[in-house]
Amino acid sequence: MSVSDLPKKEGNVLKGHEGAVLAARFNKDGNYCLSCGKDRTIRLWNPHRGIHIKTYKSHGREVRDVHVTSDNSKLCSGGGDRQIFYWDVASGRVIRKFRGHDGGVNAVKFNEYASVVVSAGYDQSLRAWDCRSHSTEPIQIIDSFTDSVMSICLTKTEIIGGSVDGTVRTFDIRMGRELSDDLGQPVNCISMSNDGNCILASCLDSTIRLLDRTSAELLQEYKGHTCKSYKLDCCLTNSDAHVIGGSEDGSIFFWDLVDASVVSSIRAHLSVVTSVSYHPKDNCMISSSVDGTIKVWKT
Amino acid sequence: MDSDEEDFVFYGTPIAREDDVTTSRKKKSVAEASGQLRTLAPWKQEVRDEEGRRRFHGAFSGGYSAGYYNTVGSKEGWTPQTFVSSRKNRAEVKQQDILNFLDEDERAEMEGQSLGTSSQFDTFGLTAADHARKHAEKEQQKRPSAIPGPVPDELVLPATDSIGVKLLLKMGWRHGRSIKDSHADVAYDARREGRKAFLAFSANDAKTQLADSDPIHDNSENYSEQHASDDVRSSQNTPVYVLNPKQDMHGLGFDPFKHAPEFREKKRSRVSDNRGPGNKSSLLLKNSLFGLKSGKAAPGFGIGALEDFDAEDEDVYGSGYDFEETYVEDIDEPTKLIMDSKQTSVRKEPGALSGFRLASNSDYQLERFDPPVVPKDFVPQHKFSGPPETSYKLGDPGPPEVPPPQDNNLKVLIDGVATLVARCGKLFEDLSREKNQSNPMFSFLVGGNGHEYYARKLWEEQQKRGDQTKLQLDGKLSPRTQKMTAEGRGKLLGERPLERSSKDSSTSISSTDAIHLQYNLSDTFTDPSSYSEMPVVAKPFINDAAKQERFEQFLHDKYQGGLRSTESGRASHMSEAARALERLDFEVAAEAIKKGKWSKEISTSLTGGMEFTSGGFVQAKDTQAEDAIPKEVHVKRTEYQWRPSPILCKRFDLIDPYMGKPPPAPRSKSKIETLIFTSDSVKATKEEETIIVKRDSYHIPQPEPQGISKDVADDESGGEVEVENVERPVDLYKAIFSDDSDDEEDISTPNEVNPEKKVEAANTTLNRLIAGDFLESLGKELGLEVPPELPSSTNKTMNSAPPKEIANANSRIYNTYPVEEKPSSTLNVPHASREIVQDRTSERKETVNGNLMGSSAGSNSKYAETASLGNHVDRNSSEKGPLLDRKFKTPSRRHRSSSSSSSSEDESSRKRSRRHRHRHRHSDSDSDSSGDQRDRYHSRSKGKKKGSSREKSSSSRSHSKHKRRSRDSPSRYDYSPEKERSETKRDKHRRRE
Repeated sequence: MSVSDLPKKEGNVLKGHEGAVLAARFNKDGNYCLSCGKDRTIRLWNPHRGIHIKTYKSHGREVRDVHVTSDNSKLCSGGGDRQIFYWDVASGRVIRKFRGHDGGVNAVKFNEYASVVVSAGYDQSLRAWDCRSHSTEPIQIIDSFTDSVMSICLTKTEIIGGSVDGTVRTFDIRMGRELSDDLGQPVNCISMSNDGNCILASCLDSTIRLLDRTSAELLQEYKGHTCKSYKLDCCLTNSDAHVIGGSEDGSIFFWDLVDASVVSSIRAHLSVVTSVSYHPKDNCMISSSVDGTIKVWKT
Repeated sequence: MDSDEEDFVFYGTPIAREDDVTTSRKKKSVAEASGQLRTLAPWKQEVRDEEGRRRFHGAFSGGYSAGYYNTVGSKEGWTPQTFVSSRKNRAEVKQQDILNFLDEDERAEMEGQSLGTSSQFDTFGLTAADHARKHAEKEQQKRPSAIPGPVPDELVLPATDSIGVKLLLKMGWRHGRSIKDSHADVAYDARREGRKAFLAFSANDAKTQLADSDPIHDNSENYSEQHASDDVRSSQNTPVYVLNPKQDMHGLGFDPFKHAPEFREKKRSRVSDNRGPGNKSSLLLKNSLFGLKSGKAAPGFGIGALEDFDAEDEDVYGSGYDFEETYVEDIDEPTKLIMDSKQTSVRKEPGALSGFRLASNSDYQLERFDPPVVPKDFVPQHKFSGPPETSYKLGDPGPPEVPPPQDNNLKVLIDGVATLVARCGKLFEDLSREKNQSNPMFSFLVGGNGHEYYARKLWEEQQKRGDQTKLQLDGKLSPRTQKMTAEGRGKLLGERPLERSSKDSSTSISSTDAIHLQYNLSDTFTDPSSYSEMPVVAKPFINDAAKQERFEQFLHDKYQGGLRSTESGRASHMSEAARALERLDFEVAAEAIKKGKWSKEISTSLTGGMEFTSGGFVQAKDTQAEDAIPKEVHVKRTEYQWRPSPILCKRFDLIDPYMGKPPPAPRSKSKIETLIFTSDSVKATKEEETIIVKRDSYHIPQPEPQGISKDVADDESGGEVEVENVERPVDLYKAIFSDDSDDEEDISTPNEVNPEKKVEAANTTLNRLIAGDFLESLGKELGLEVPPELPSSTNKTMNSAPPKEIANANSRIYNTYPVEEKPSSTLNVPHASREIVQDRTSERKETVNGNLMGSSAGSNSKYAETASLGNHVDRNSSEKGPLLDRKFKTPSRRHRSSSSSSSSEDESSRKRSRRHRHRHRHSDSDSDSSGDQRDRYHSRSKGKKKGSSREKSSSSRSHSKHKRRSRDSPSRYDYSPEKERSETKRDKHRRRE
């Protein structure tokens, strides 16, 4: 993918959130996107047509993360009210609430079969919640982190969490082991490369780091943006050629994956870019910001 | 009915129905009981139930109930107080305390004993407050005041300051000041600076905020607003109530902006807009940095009414989401209206009411005192006056080695002086030289006889001392003289340092930490260290010479260190606000210079409009600071065991990697230990088996006659054996407390009752006689103790699990006694102690299993049976009687006694073999009908022999362990067989039932 293919042209602007948008995520096929924010709502959009489809309200405080199953039938979300909500997408009703985190929930993710919601909390723990049974107790609590867990990635067999204690921990369910990769810097957000071999970890020293998952080798560092105090997402393009990350000054940076050079940076938002999400197939990207907008970027 | 009945004729007596009978009987019994109760003396009264039986609680909970005369005061016993409250009869809140439950005299006792802090050590002033409160209460009782009821706690304050407050005051704290630790956060400081500037502004132009220039006011204001901004939070622990002049006509305590603090700001700015000449409030409002932080809640959407407003709700994203400028025109603001109406007249004298004149000098002007002038040559660095010799180089070869002088006295003198000088410093040398000028003995001090030796000696001593002090310095002084970094603090606190920060702390100290420190120290002291690093002072304020000068002075102060002083004093002609603003500029400029990023545009913008927007300001600083730090991140990978829950595996469609494995020990408990334990226990169980084999190989496997015979008997005739079990305790007591001849007769009587048992007894005696060495064994038994334990083989027949458990326990215990594991440990005295330890473990196990009763019963039965065998055994058991008693008192003692009795000779090395031999014999004589079983054991032991020999040859360590175990095992089996026997017995009981 050449640099010109990077989505740098502003497309639709999705407005509706009152206040900061904390996360924006494409769904599995990239036709829709979800956002959540400080206004305690989750919103479902069609980013390509720029229309707002639905609002999900139930959270008591800000919603920090949202994830949708691959069949688009269920949502999970978590936020400052320490609960994880399990939603029905169509009806907009909460199917289940999972309580148990002692602090705000920073990130939630479904597993592949949408049978388990894994949540990461400010209470230094990862919790797995069962969606199949009616139990609202966590089926697993991982509390080996020593600080707030900021972000999670799930593979078919692993749970990966990034924490402010500077570690990225991989919990291999199949092997029954935990791999702790200590980066030495608070990890803000982790995101997995599409080939599943690398982990992109956004650290609070304004550096995004690329880790090899098997060897825990630090492959590359991406700098230039500002990431000091906010939870800023980072992601890879769907071709794994570029690294994308938001900055606290409202711009979005594009790095070349291999040589870590800043390929491009666009002045995207007025304020902190909280989240970026790349389309799974097309050259399209959405970004959300504290200024209350979600922007769709196309080539 | 009655009329009907009259018509009938009844023959005979009607048969009472069954239940009628019982109920009537019941009634009768109850009536009887109650009658009895009434008549009997209280201490004789008993509680009976409906059936008329005495109430029985069970042996362990008090036996028969003795009525509530000697238990509790009510029929129901202790009843919990129930909460009853009705509309008419409201429940009172009863505060129960210990005094409610005490008698008069007990209460008096309690009063005398109550503990309190003496006023001297009353850190929190609690006792003082208590005293004051009591006093007030007393006074109130004397002269009832207008407000009835107890004195509220808040009104009564301690008469004196607590010691803590006193200390704080001594340390420079003042009431109302927050006790906060230094905020390392740069942004925080910037914010604070900003706020200062803002406060200065408002002090300058607002008449409404009279006390604004003081941080105290800040606190109090925030109090009234109930906001949670971070700096307020830190100061909330010291509530100080500063009177705010009331300027509006609201009711007392009414705050129109209570829920809309933003408007307060708006209003304030409007007021100042109207009045303040040349104000900059627009800048204030625009700039989120300068805006009051406390008002910064997440805009638009408050939280629920019931939720409290805490730090989480603060808008961390620092706005960017702007409000419409919505004014609330508060009409009920007469002051403002008056202001508006009178504005024209007041114009000339802004801010003054009509009829008043502005004071020429304000009361609220802070009085400033110039700090003492610091001498020019003063170096603000404290040198520790440790041994002065520490400064010399240790690499210095020193004066050449010189042979000591002939005169021994002189040598000793020189040595002494040298030591003293080395210890006390050069001063001592000078002193002694001065003093002893005339003394020829001290001529070595001035270069006379023995000077070289003295020099050498001194050097050596200094060398020695230097080493010591260096060590001390390394240990104590150096960290203190260094700056306390976050890492250092973390290290002190035992925190795990982050990878990177620990690595390049040395480099970061110079740059970032210095900055941080300066921020922290900017109020009182500044740090001198980085002055040298200060780049050439740029001249950002060239246009304004005076300002430039002030700036340089500021820089000087900032980096030179020492008390912050002259800047403020010199610029006293400037207003407070202007000074604060300028200071802010200077800070920024200095920061920029510091970063070496002093670019033209910044300078122009500075000199031009001084428009440092908050975002740009903070951001630039941050990125630059970050850039200054070189980063080398090495990812450290560590692997742990982690156990996913089975259901998680199921949900992930994976096979549980820990399926069927026992749950792991908690991870925090150091995995290594648990690993050791598990491996060891596995080993132990293995060893256990080999030991068993070894034991068996020494002698013909000798099942304890008791267990086996019983088993066999059980096999043969299930029913009858239990009978003897029941009757045995009687035999036992007889065996213990009566003499032999009696025994035989007494024993025979129960035997008569039970022919089966008689037959069995006869069989055993016969077998013994047949065995031939009956007498010999008898003699042995008299000298020794019949080993009370079953051989391990019985254990094995039962089930394998219990021994394993025991082995586990043992191994664990042994791990805690690693010292005792000597490879060459043979059977010597120290083992006794170990045996005791061993014994305790088995004992503990026993109690855990709750089998004490059962085991005792088992042993009882055993002894009873042995008693039934005949005279010799009787004597034996009677001899063991007291032993048996002891047995259940202290396990360790029991074991010791048993072992001592088992070996009349103290050749402990032979003890074992002896015992075995004896047991062998015993088995020959004792084991009766279990011939086939014995054979079976025998063969098995043979089969296992090979394994054991292999084990033996494995290693010396394990060998020794074997030995130990083999020695330990008897003590372990001391109990288990009994337990097992009791178990079998209980089994039988159960079966019978």
